[in-house]
Amino acid sequence: MAQPFPYTYYACDCFDSNTAASASRAAQTPADDEDARTFDPRSPRSNYALYPLEHLLYCEDCQQIRCPRCVIEETLNWYCPSCLFEVPSSVVKSDGNRCTRNCYNCPVCTSPMTVSSLEKPTEPSATGGPYILACPYCHWSTVEIGIEFEKHTGITNQLSRIANGGKTLPTQKERDKERERRKEAEARGGIGGRDILSGSEDSPTRDGEGNAAPPGHDDIFSNLSAFYKAQMQAQTPSNPFSPHDLNFSSPSTYSRIMNLYSSTASKKQKREKPALMREAASALEGLALHDPASDIAAIERIKKEGWASTLSPARKLAQLNPHVRFDSELRPTASLLCTKRGKRCRSCRHILSKPESKITSTRYKIKLLALNHIPRLSLRALSPATTTTTPGPSHPPFNYNALRPGIPIHFLLHLSNPLFDPIRVTLATPSTTPGAIASRITILCPQFDVGANTDVWDDALSSSLSPIAKRSGDAQFEAGKIYDRGRNWTAVVLEVVPGFVTPLGGKRDEADGDVKGGGEVDADLLEIPVFVRIEFEADVSVEERGLGDSRGSKGEKERREEAFWTVLGAGRIVDV
Amino acid sequence: MSSGLGGERKASASLTRPGRGTAPRLHDLASTPEAPRTPLLRSNSSFFASPGGSFRTEDEYVVIELGARFVRGGFPGESAPRCTLHFGPDQQRRVGDYRQWDPDSAKQRRNTKSGQGWSRDYELYRMDLSAVDLGVVEDKFERAMREAYNKYFLLDTKPRRILLALPPRMPHPLMSTILDVLFGHFQAPSITLMMSPILSAVGAGLRSALVVDIGWAETLVTAVCEYREVHERRTVRAGKLLSEEMAKILNAELDDEAQPGDPKLQVSFEEADEVLSRVGWCKSRPRSNRRTVYFPARTSPVLEEFEDAVEAPEPTVTIPFLRQDPPTEITVSLATLAKPAEKALFAPDTALNEFDDDELPLHHLIYRALLALPIDVRRLCMSRIIITGGVSAMPGLKTRILAELEALVQARGWDQVRNYGSASARHEQILRQRREQFELRRQESEDKVTQSLDPDIPRAPLPPGLQDPVDDVIDAKLAHLALRNGPPPESFVGGSIRGVETLGAWAGGSLVAQLRIKGIVEIEREKYLQHGLQGATKEKEVSVVPQRQSMGPGLGRGAGERASWTLGVWA
Repeated sequence: MAQPFPYTYYACDCFDSNTAASASRAAQTPADDEDARTFDPRSPRSNYALYPLEHLLYCEDCQQIRCPRCVIEETLNWYCPSCLFEVPSSVVKSDGNRCTRNCYNCPVCTSPMTVSSLEKPTEPSATGGPYILACPYCHWSTVEIGIEFEKHTGITNQLSRIANGGKTLPTQKERDKERERRKEAEARGGIGGRDILSGSEDSPTRDGEGNAAPPGHDDIFSNLSAFYKAQMQAQTPSNPFSPHDLNFSSPSTYSRIMNLYSSTASKKQKREKPALMREAASALEGLALHDPASDIAAIERIKKEGWASTLSPARKLAQLNPHVRFDSELRPTASLLCTKRGKRCRSCRHILSKPESKITSTRYKIKLLALNHIPRLSLRALSPATTTTTPGPSHPPFNYNALRPGIPIHFLLHLSNPLFDPIRVTLATPSTTPGAIASRITILCPQFDVGANTDVWDDALSSSLSPIAKRSGDAQFEAGKIYDRGRNWTAVVLEVVPGFVTPLGGKRDEADGDVKGGGEVDADLLEIPVFVRIEFEADVSVEERGLGDSRGSKGEKERREEAFWTVLGAGRIVDV
Repeated sequence: MSSGLGGERKASASLTRPGRGTAPRLHDLASTPEAPRTPLLRSNSSFFASPGGSFRTEDEYVVIELGARFVRGGFPGESAPRCTLHFGPDQQRRVGDYRQWDPDSAKQRRNTKSGQGWSRDYELYRMDLSAVDLGVVEDKFERAMREAYNKYFLLDTKPRRILLALPPRMPHPLMSTILDVLFGHFQAPSITLMMSPILSAVGAGLRSALVVDIGWAETLVTAVCEYREVHERRTVRAGKLLSEEMAKILNAELDDEAQPGDPKLQVSFEEADEVLSRVGWCKSRPRSNRRTVYFPARTSPVLEEFEDAVEAPEPTVTIPFLRQDPPTEITVSLATLAKPAEKALFAPDTALNEFDDDELPLHHLIYRALLALPIDVRRLCMSRIIITGGVSAMPGLKTRILAELEALVQARGWDQVRNYGSASARHEQILRQRREQFELRRQESEDKVTQSLDPDIPRAPLPPGLQDPVDDVIDAKLAHLALRNGPPPESFVGGSIRGVETLGAWAGGSLVAQLRIKGIVEIEREKYLQHGLQGATKEKEVSVVPQRQSMGPGLGRGAGERASWTLGVWA
């Protein structure tokens, strides 16, 4: 994994209990197996269930970890990450999910673009223009697609009116008007000049060919949309007989109601067949016939300009128009708006986190982190050369990326308790890791206590109380004994015998081909699933006690427990 | 459109004359004064509620299109989806695993299995469910949808209905997985399912079409007539095969470049896919195809033009391989890059009888699909061929398919029988006779004028089948009227091979949702959560229109609600 070794991932419960469907799928395995199942960090599903502790929230009411999957998010406000301008929700609805100011990202390298002036010092212009959008990182600029701006503000507005190459694009309204005008002209010409024989001759596709380029994606869409709307209007006849719009004041509705009670035959007669909508017949109505010329042009372009002029999939995806192919069709992309979102628990709907609504503030009003409720597990190698806890500078740092198979390695599993109550921890792990490389794992002390997260000074003041504090040198390697302990943490030893990447005695080359060529990217990864169960006695929470008797019941405690899977990433096993 | 998509079931009656003369045109509409009427498309959810109350929340849609390798999402009325999300290994990492941004990882080549495993990491699902872990599908889809909602949709908390464009013939477990996610995690009040071929037809502005969806795992040819699927054929010759072929070719090229003794290198799936989408192309139809026999009369002189002279120097494309160690670039001739399409989609070197049922070349598949259609549907469909799907963006491919098809039709006609065996001589004879008679008749009609000038010669009685129908003045008048008032003749074009471009299934879905058209398959959240997919009625079609009318104006239940729901074509 890309996280530096060693790391710890926590599995969220929602992984196997979120939906009925997954439960039914799980039911295919024997039911009593359900609890005994060990978590397999290499199953593809585990990627969706494992989170670093910092990414998890904790619902205090459900007393469960909440991962991004099991929260409901609600948007509080919208803002542009580039200009930090808060966008009201009405504008988001009307103008879409992108910044409508001057925030643009480079279509090539995605870094934010700046507006620069192309003014020549010899001939200064009144506005200081022309301006361009330029990328400070990769030096792509709108000059390459032939776009220059007159003003340095309102780039979105200007950009929407310029096509690549500098031609002016008509606005939507102008386009609609133009379409209507041409349609009317066609209709007039059609009715006057059209008769049965020459009907297909003056198809408007041919009219359009002369003066305009083939219509773009948006044009076709708006033509189609207008066509369908017109057809729907024509379809829904003037008799408002659909159950949708009942209008009791109109006489036709009365007649219809009367018809309901009359005989079926007369009803059948009355009901006229709804006229069929026709299909689009011309380019103005959104019909686009296949034109081999565009194909040929694209091939010619590849032939001439080669690889560099085509767009990589990532760049293509970043474009608004999904059908671009060449770099001359690139447009700067307006930056996507971001949101501040509150999160609620999916099952009890309590708020788990809520940021401050001010855009520039990164603080939270409410934030229930798993970090404050779940003990943190961390792994550290206890390299055999240095059993002392203070390795001298002469020792090379332990190389987690090269665990040698067959040789036992000792890791220190450090568990720190964020709770204000002492906890009792039970660890469990399968004796061998799942997967192709079976490594043997032994937790030397699977059950132990961790102290409460009390005031830091308590530790200093009562250091004499902890019996095994700070013993350097002869740390415990015996089974059943903890290694070390502090105020709110305990460390135990984990013994790992990494398995062999290539099975012993197997032919090396074959196995290599299998494992490496087999597509398993992380086949050599040593990940240890550990089941953690903690028990503690906590104060009864305020809500359960009720507000009234909060004073007297100080000693009232309840027994709680938490259980979850974690995955410890210990390192990579080298192939010997 | 509601009549078409929703309830018009008398498709066969209106196949040949879709509403001729009945649908007023736009400009006519403007001139005819209409009675004032309430605004269209308003629906009261309940009889007693005021119209404005629940109307806004109910009718806001999100349009989602699902494919094997991507999901597209956006809002109705927009021409392009807000996002297109792919499923790749980078999208499947654990949270907190940022290795795709590690500069080192950009240089590493991902190993990809060949064969069965090829592209597995890049797919959401496969049709063969025995090889699919539905849990993973759920996870992947949920994560993609969460990204879409949180990053691109930026919605407020109001739940929105979903219009989901699905490929036809989805396995039920897969569908229920997807619906579970949408209902469970995204609180959709209802989901309307639409078939993507039909939406492609809507996106092209057509009512009937032959939709050729060259997708990932398979190419699907669907004949759509009046917004209804009437026929379907599929082949495995599609994107996956294409990318495997491309990988083979690139591997061979790399081998040529490599020093002898170097380890054999395999390009990864990503590299093959990128090369394919950037510089892959498709040759136009070879001019002289040995296997194709033209009817001599139809071979136009254009086809006999000499082939493209081989250009010198041969055009080449230099493809960088940055992930290789050390990074290299290879120069491939342009003609080589057209080979995968040739081999994977058309397979010109294999005799037709060697293909399995599921691996027919595209043009044969389309031809057979057309052949299987009733003649009037075929007439409509053959001149409305929509080629869509991810692969169809490859330059030259559409032209090639249409040209191949045209040639096939010219060579074979519309004869179901491919080989007459011992009777082929007789068949030839019949054909010849027919042609001669046709010629004769044409000559006669040309000669008619001269004959009529000479009344003395008794005319040989023409067989009635060859006689011209008697022109009826009234008919002509009616036809003229229909032409004047009815739809323009362009919408009745048929009988010739013609390709039509579509905006794609997503855009079609966007149009449909914008017009607030009720689909046949509409699943309400409560009903789904109660019974799952089992709750659907077994009837394939719940008729929308007659039911509403017979029940009276939504008295029993809201007009938008239905007592039962169906899975329609997916049932």
